[in-house]
Amino acid sequence: MGQDGNLTPQKRTSSLPTTVANGRHSSGRNPPRGRQIQKTFNNIKITLLCGFVTILVLRGTIGVNLSSSGSDAVNQNLIEETNRILAEIRSDSDPTDPANPERDLFLNETYALGPRISSWDTDRKAWLENNPEFPNFVSRNKPRVLLLSGSPPNPCDNAIGDHYLLKAVKNKIDYCRLHGIEIVYNMAHLDRELAGYWAKLPMIRRLMLSHPEVEWIWWMDSDALFTDMVFEIPFDKYKDYNMVIHGYPDLFYDQKSWIALNTGSFLLRNCQWTLDLLDTWAPMGPKGPIREEAGKVVTKFLKGRPDFEADDQSALIYLLLTQKDKWMNKVQIENSYYLHGFWTGLVDTYEDLMAKYHPGYGDQRWPFVTHFVGCKPCGSYADYPVERCLRSMERAFNFADNQVLNLYGFGHRGLLSPKIKRTRNETVRPLENVDKFDIRRSSLHEKSR
Amino acid sequence: MLERFMGPRRMYQIRRLVRHGKLTALCLVMTIVVLRGTIGAGKFGTPEQDFDNLRVHFYASRNHHRPNRVLEEVRSESSSEESVALTSEAGSNSYGTFDISKILVDEGEEEKRDPSKPYTLGPKISEWDEQRAGWLRKNPDFPSFIGPNKPRVLLVTGSSPKPCENPVGDHYLLKAIKNKIDYCRLHGIEVFYNMALLDAEMAGFWAKLPLIRKLLLSHPEVEFLWWMDSDAMFTDMAFELPWERYKDVNLVMHGWNEMVYNQKNWIGLNTGSFLLRNTQWALDLLDTLAPMGPKGKIREEAGKLLTRELKDRPVFEADDQSAMVYILATQRDKWGDKVYLESEYYLHGYWGILVDRYEEMIENYHPGLGDHRWPLVTHFVGCKPCGKFGDYPVERCLKQMDRAFNFGDNQILQMYGFSHKSLASRKVKRVRNETGNPLEVKDELGLLHPAFKAARASSS
Repeated sequence: MGQDGNLTPQKRTSSLPTTVANGRHSSGRNPPRGRQIQKTFNNIKITLLCGFVTILVLRGTIGVNLSSSGSDAVNQNLIEETNRILAEIRSDSDPTDPANPERDLFLNETYALGPRISSWDTDRKAWLENNPEFPNFVSRNKPRVLLLSGSPPNPCDNAIGDHYLLKAVKNKIDYCRLHGIEIVYNMAHLDRELAGYWAKLPMIRRLMLSHPEVEWIWWMDSDALFTDMVFEIPFDKYKDYNMVIHGYPDLFYDQKSWIALNTGSFLLRNCQWTLDLLDTWAPMGPKGPIREEAGKVVTKFLKGRPDFEADDQSALIYLLLTQKDKWMNKVQIENSYYLHGFWTGLVDTYEDLMAKYHPGYGDQRWPFVTHFVGCKPCGSYADYPVERCLRSMERAFNFADNQVLNLYGFGHRGLLSPKIKRTRNETVRPLENVDKFDIRRSSLHEKSR
Repeated sequence: MLERFMGPRRMYQIRRLVRHGKLTALCLVMTIVVLRGTIGAGKFGTPEQDFDNLRVHFYASRNHHRPNRVLEEVRSESSSEESVALTSEAGSNSYGTFDISKILVDEGEEEKRDPSKPYTLGPKISEWDEQRAGWLRKNPDFPSFIGPNKPRVLLVTGSSPKPCENPVGDHYLLKAIKNKIDYCRLHGIEVFYNMALLDAEMAGFWAKLPLIRKLLLSHPEVEFLWWMDSDAMFTDMAFELPWERYKDVNLVMHGWNEMVYNQKNWIGLNTGSFLLRNTQWALDLLDTLAPMGPKGKIREEAGKLLTRELKDRPVFEADDQSAMVYILATQRDKWGDKVYLESEYYLHGYWGILVDRYEEMIENYHPGLGDHRWPLVTHFVGCKPCGKFGDYPVERCLKQMDRAFNFGDNQILQMYGFSHKSLASRKVKRVRNETGNPLEVKDELGLLHPAFKAARASSS
């Protein structure tokens, strides 16, 4: 900076130009030319230096790093690229879809699930007679049942949602394998109008008509878990009914409550009655003005219902109540076991139940199904604290999984643990354990008694 | 005023000192600022954020050679931003900010095996065939054959009980299991989805060994166990396995005899999708493979042996596939006659050579062929959608997995009169109108009531 070592006051040029200018009126009026040039030179040097430093600082601040390698820039690009891919995967937008707005139905238009079918019972019976290799029962007069569940085709809003959907599917696979039930897991929106919770209606109808060999269709929500792997639905009890749904008769008939029945887990027989019911149920579903209007109607009619568009559960309760003479003689409102079990009152009792009871009851002693209403793990927000929801879902899953692993001699290390521990030593005669612990064989023995 | 006390010379010195001081201070400030920018804490946040920035920067520069770890970056970035929010929201209703590991608790002790004893999958069983035959006789309700020439098959697959490290991994696992459920429903096969690690020593690709053994012994009614990786998908829903071809063999894998027995090539066969008959032979084979599996030194040493002995094998710890090639190649007389290396159809189909041809296949061929014209299985080897690092670019893997899924799903949807709008699209469109006579409708592929599902005996 300037000339170092030169400390005489007259040649004081090493400090900033302003101080030099101020401190100089005592010295000569016409400094020699050389010194002037030197002074200018020094000023320029200082200016350049300051300018360089400023630029460097600015670059550091705006994030462009000269000295770090290209890997950071590459990483940054990769991260942005992946964010883009993930966002694209998550979004509903279709790269191949033309921006074609199919409109919602107007209020005066009627909606139909499909062409009217009126001779389903006879047609189906004839088909079954012609196709004896596809009977409507599976074994020992157990009717053929199809479990239907599903989830949206796009990834959940958060990764944890997909993880619990996966666990719920595994849970259903396990129960159905043990009880000879087939599963259909739907991930397609078959009907644009009946989207959301209404999507089950077109799917149920479609499956009934395509699979006449199926006697019962069992809809189950994706947030419902089996927690009693031994309990079997007593189909004999329902030979005169076409619909089995969990609910409370007093809430239904007397209070007309919107939660008197639960459509998260219910059974429908494959018959004309059901087709008629679906045809009567569906018209409240088409999204847009129809669903909004229907929502208002059911809110007015049912007790305790908040104001929102019509959902399939409220619509069903409304139609069954307003047309009870037509339908209710074939509907069994079941609450002797938890065909649907509301989770909040059940999940904290598991340890208690394990100490006192055993699987097979299906009721409050060992709930058949624990249904996580309101947790909505696939969405962004739950109606309950998320920690409580996830903790409870993990517990319910492990509670059920313990019953499956029991055959293999394992169990979870606690209801919140994904790890397992051995509960029975390995043996050279494994078939003795199979005879004792296989759920399928025990339920068969019970039947033959 | 001070001048009067100190004299002019002193004043000059003081002034000079002050000028120097100012200069020094200014330069010091400039240097610090520039240095901060250069070493990465350029964003002028709080000291804690600076520290984080620095740490990230140094960590990044140490690992910059690793490819495709962006998904980990994405997660760690988002979680570091959110961790600030997390501590303040104990009762939050939002899933976005929740960390699942907060709630998982492992009670009890981890089981430790005595390291001095050699590893075994379990106590040696030596008359399994007789035990099983006796059990089957006593239990006629659980036959091992559910139709003439149709054995009872259990398809086994699985994944980790913890959420995937990759944010979309679980979604692809869900799609893959739906795909398997669909195929198995059509073909009368049962599914077992494993989410438990039976033996911590046999973790990773070896986890299937203790699981397979346990399932064989616990399900004597199962004739064939079909192991399938979680990253493999069925793409031919109409193809039924030729069971009569395998009536005298115990192990069916996709592969080529010359590549395994002559070349000892480590990819001469594939253990991502194979059939194993429930026999003493299978138990013995598992016992022979297992010693190379226990993680740690044993697996490392075994890996070195395998790399040495097998062709083209890279250096890494022992995997079950290389071990299988090695055992078969070196003990051919013992095992070879009961092993069938299938190459006539894609019991395992490497995705790289298949996924771009789907449109061509749709145009020229039809389901039911199972081979290069319409592959039975498309196996996404190396994509590792659940993990952080794959061997291929993420976008290609995920997009192609979507296409393969839709390719298979179209065959299911066509039963009900629907199809995906395109192989890349999640949306479906109607391809067959609803009719008033649904029972007269036959789906094109005949999958609604196929012959191979006819009179399926009870599964219980």
